[in-house]
Amino acid sequence: MRRDGEATDGPGLPTRGARDVRGPVLKKGVGVTPTAWVDPRGRALGSFAFSVNRITALGLVFYLYLHLGVLSMLLRGEQAWNDFVRLATTTVFLSLDVLLIFGLLYHGLNGLRVALVGTGIAPDRQKALWWAGGVIGTVALAYSAFHILVGEG
Amino acid sequence: MASLRTRTRPGTSTSAARRRRTPRAASTARDWKLVTFTGVGLLGLLLVHMIGHHFVVGEVGGLRNYDQVLDYIAHPVIFTIESFFLLFVTVHAMLGVRSVLLDLDPAPAWRRAIDVGAVVLGLGTLAYGYFLIGTLASRA
Repeated sequence: MRRDGEATDGPGLPTRGARDVRGPVLKKGVGVTPTAWVDPRGRALGSFAFSVNRITALGLVFYLYLHLGVLSMLLRGEQAWNDFVRLATTTVFLSLDVLLIFGLLYHGLNGLRVALVGTGIAPDRQKALWWAGGVIGTVALAYSAFHILVGEG
Repeated sequence: MASLRTRTRPGTSTSAARRRRTPRAASTARDWKLVTFTGVGLLGLLLVHMIGHHFVVGEVGGLRNYDQVLDYIAHPVIFTIESFFLLFVTVHAMLGVRSVLLDLDPAPAWRRAIDVGAVVLGLGTLAYGYFLIGTLASRA
């Protein structure tokens, strides 16, 4: 798997970063399958962050179209929308909102980290930025979950 | 490692490889910059979108009722912000999906199909989104 900004010695060969990863030799191999990013387990921090970033990205794309579909109820008039709002404020739907906030926070903060590293603003701070984003994201997620589920704050 | 390179690209001279790779490399760099630009822009736009839509409403779930949505979207500043938000999120999403699919290393024909598909889907999304925003704003 090739991540943006990482050099390889040729097609099908592992990235230089991947060769430096500690772990069983068999896991390194000569390159990895194109879909290996789907499974983030047992990876170094950078690869784990990349995998989760992609998983959240696909989830957010799915949500984008779900959101546009839901908003079409506004076109059907006041009754349809207000009926939907009643459904959307049940605990199950509100819990899914918290999951959405997690995806947004992770993808946004990790994307900011990638931008800072990739543009050369903080090229050697990728781990520190990930942990900083983790702290900020956790606090923001806790506040958002409280606001969504309790309605105050 | 050098011998591996030779085996995987037999008969490829440095200049030939550079000629073949340069357009794609430039395109990749341009796409990365565009993803980064739209992504950073989305951070601000999403913050406004989420706070404006869901975090200033005191009710559980932070959802507006029908009349509140129409009043909100009809405000010129909000209308402009939401329009940019739609543009940025669509471009960012299409480039991201395209990137995921291209990582599967498809054949050139599939690569073109993916490019065309992303453009068509993106334009369709923008058309529907702007129709939705415009229609709702006009109802206020």
